[in-house]
Amino acid sequence: MSEFTQPQETVTLTIDGREVTVPPGTTILQAAESTGNRIPHYCYHPGLSAPAQCRLCLVEVEGAPKLQPSCVTQVRDGQVVHTASEKAKGMRQGVLEFYLANHPLDCPICDQSGECKLQDYVHEEGRKHGRSREPKRVFGRDDFGGDVLFYGDRCVMCTRCVRFMNEVAQDPRLTVVERGNRSVIDTFFEDGVDGSPYAGNIVDICPVGALVSKDFLHKARAWDLDHTPSICPNCSQGCNIDLHVRDNRVQRLKPRANPEVNGHWMCDYGRHRFEWMNRDDRLTRPLVREAGEARPAEWGAALSELLERLEEARPIRAVASPFASTEELAALRRVVDALGGGEILFRSPEADEEIPLPGFPQLARRRDLSPNRRTAELLGMERVGDAQGRGGLESLADYTGTLIVLGDALADMDADFGRQAALYLYLGSHPSAAAGQADVVLPIPTFAEQEGTFINGEGRVQRFWPGLIGPEQARPAWMPLGVVLSRLGVGNLPGSAGEAFLAATEVLPELQGLRHETIGTRGAILNEPVLLAGS
Amino acid sequence: MAATVKVMRRPDPGETSYIRATLKGMALTFKHMVNPDKVTLQYPEEQPDLSPRWRGTHRMEVHADGRPKCVACGLCPTICPANCIRLVGGEDDQGNRYPIVYEIDEFRCIFCGMCQEVCPVEAIHVGVHFENAEYTRDRFVYDLDRLMEQDHPTTLLWDPSDPRSE
Ligand code: SF4
Ligand code: SF4
Ligand code: SF4
Ligand code: SF4
Repeated sequence: MSEFTQPQETVTLTIDGREVTVPPGTTILQAAESTGNRIPHYCYHPGLSAPAQCRLCLVEVEGAPKLQPSCVTQVRDGQVVHTASEKAKGMRQGVLEFYLANHPLDCPICDQSGECKLQDYVHEEGRKHGRSREPKRVFGRDDFGGDVLFYGDRCVMCTRCVRFMNEVAQDPRLTVVERGNRSVIDTFFEDGVDGSPYAGNIVDICPVGALVSKDFLHKARAWDLDHTPSICPNCSQGCNIDLHVRDNRVQRLKPRANPEVNGHWMCDYGRHRFEWMNRDDRLTRPLVREAGEARPAEWGAALSELLERLEEARPIRAVASPFASTEELAALRRVVDALGGGEILFRSPEADEEIPLPGFPQLARRRDLSPNRRTAELLGMERVGDAQGRGGLESLADYTGTLIVLGDALADMDADFGRQAALYLYLGSHPSAAAGQADVVLPIPTFAEQEGTFINGEGRVQRFWPGLIGPEQARPAWMPLGVVLSRLGVGNLPGSAGEAFLAATEVLPELQGLRHETIGTRGAILNEPVLLAGS
Repeated sequence: MAATVKVMRRPDPGETSYIRATLKGMALTFKHMVNPDKVTLQYPEEQPDLSPRWRGTHRMEVHADGRPKCVACGLCPTICPANCIRLVGGEDDQGNRYPIVYEIDEFRCIFCGMCQEVCPVEAIHVGVHFENAEYTRDRFVYDLDRLMEQDHPTTLLWDPSDPRSE
């Protein structure tokens, strides 16, 4: 444990009467944040450079002649900082009054309302009434291309959007035109940010309602949305996201900060692919095929039917989906192994190229467009089919043994698929023509409706949580598969996703030492068990 | 142990007679009959005088061109303690934010008037109105068109600077 024995250089200072010890080079704003004291700011963003221009984070530092911008002032030993002194507060009130001099106060029709930093700061510390009597400047709204709308009147000129495009996307599309009171953000060309693959992030970082998403426009109020931590299922990068849900429908995806994976960002490709999570055509009940016809059945009856028909020994093959959770895929592997072993095929879409984010090189929209292909590969499943995730299953269409399909919608297969199979079990979320011949169909929830993990391309196990309520009868695939396993005498029926994860270690030794609890919200690298204090 | 006998007294007729009570009640009735301040209202030919602060079923104000004044800000569904307002926001052809769906379930409404109080554009109002009978229950969910058609007077809210509405 060398890092604990080496003397570490630290700086101790006092912020609002509270002693804080931080590494040297930290700014006052970050040091204050580490104690939960959030100093108001606009232009500073942890993922961008700090120009110290919004003048809102000025704090009183004893000994300094003037107020200091806390976003760039580095801590010194013995420094005494006051963030809420009369001087600092009065200054903030003055600065906020200037921000409102030209602000339209559109809150009732502004999409940012409820998560707006101007609203928050003015509500907390601003003047009760404005004193400006001059007419306000009016810009109206401008289409910035892509998914972005610009309401110039609401802009506070923090230039976060300009700096994001310059520093992180490294695709300069925005700039400040004019000066002083007339300055405004504008695009260089007619097409604006159109075609820039990460431009959606400027909507997230805009502290006010100046940049808003066209897709989300007027859809929901910020306070109506429930936020659930999740993982983007659209490529093997596995960006950490929040599902923003209202009325049991995903309304938008927002990046969730994780410095190891996606920083503060996510790509537009992933951001806009969520509509399928709201699909209403779902498998809602187990179906059992009787006399050539699929009939709704109780779970108990469907499982008994399944167990009975599994008793006869036959060769087995399976199709899996790299969109299923690690827990589900591992349960499938175990069932196939317990029934004598057989190959498991999966199909996954692939893009022609990666789309990197130059200013944050860890993040790229990967070529592999599924979230959990790594798990499928670790489990020895074999990828078939083309880059659209089609084809490759022709050999299975007339298979005569036991056939299990997990998650794959089999969209390119016809209704005859699996007709010859002695037992055809289909576990899926949406109705599919190719499931028509299945002897037993079991409804499972989508990833947005269940708890589980994905393993991303670099081998990071990341958890996601249920943000939507799935069909009442849907059960994660590890549950019915767990019933099969316990009947076959291999393992106990897991009672939770966490237990299913532990059970997955059987076939995924790479997960050794990991548990749901220790993975937490940041994820953990395979084969690198998380050491907790005292364990 | 000797048995104890409780001797009950028979009440005398003066205590049990209903005649006195009846006369008392009739006296009150006759007193009201000749009281000029208390009258029977000949409803529905005669309408009662409702207070300007009476809170009844809602009314949505409209602009001169017939558009609803509501901007779909979402404040009234948020503040409504009975959770009876359903709102789906959208944009009209002129680029204005407006309610695509705006419904109030008058059965669930408790007529607190908070929606009127919170509305930033003075669009939704509770009204000085009480005749709401319908033949079916579903008619009590007022949609946007119905709310815009209402023409009864709107409620005067309590003004703290003029607590007695004088
Ligand atoms: S940017 Fe903020 S303060 Fe301005 S109108 Fe929108 S919500 Fe209100
Ligand atoms: S549009 Fe938003 S992010 Fe860009 S400068 Fe204005 S307030 Fe800042
Ligand atoms: S890079 Fe991949 S994981 Fe991240 S947002 Fe884009 S599609 Fe989703
Ligand atoms: S408070 Fe007023 S403007 Fe806002 S949604 Fe309700 S009626 Fe519409």
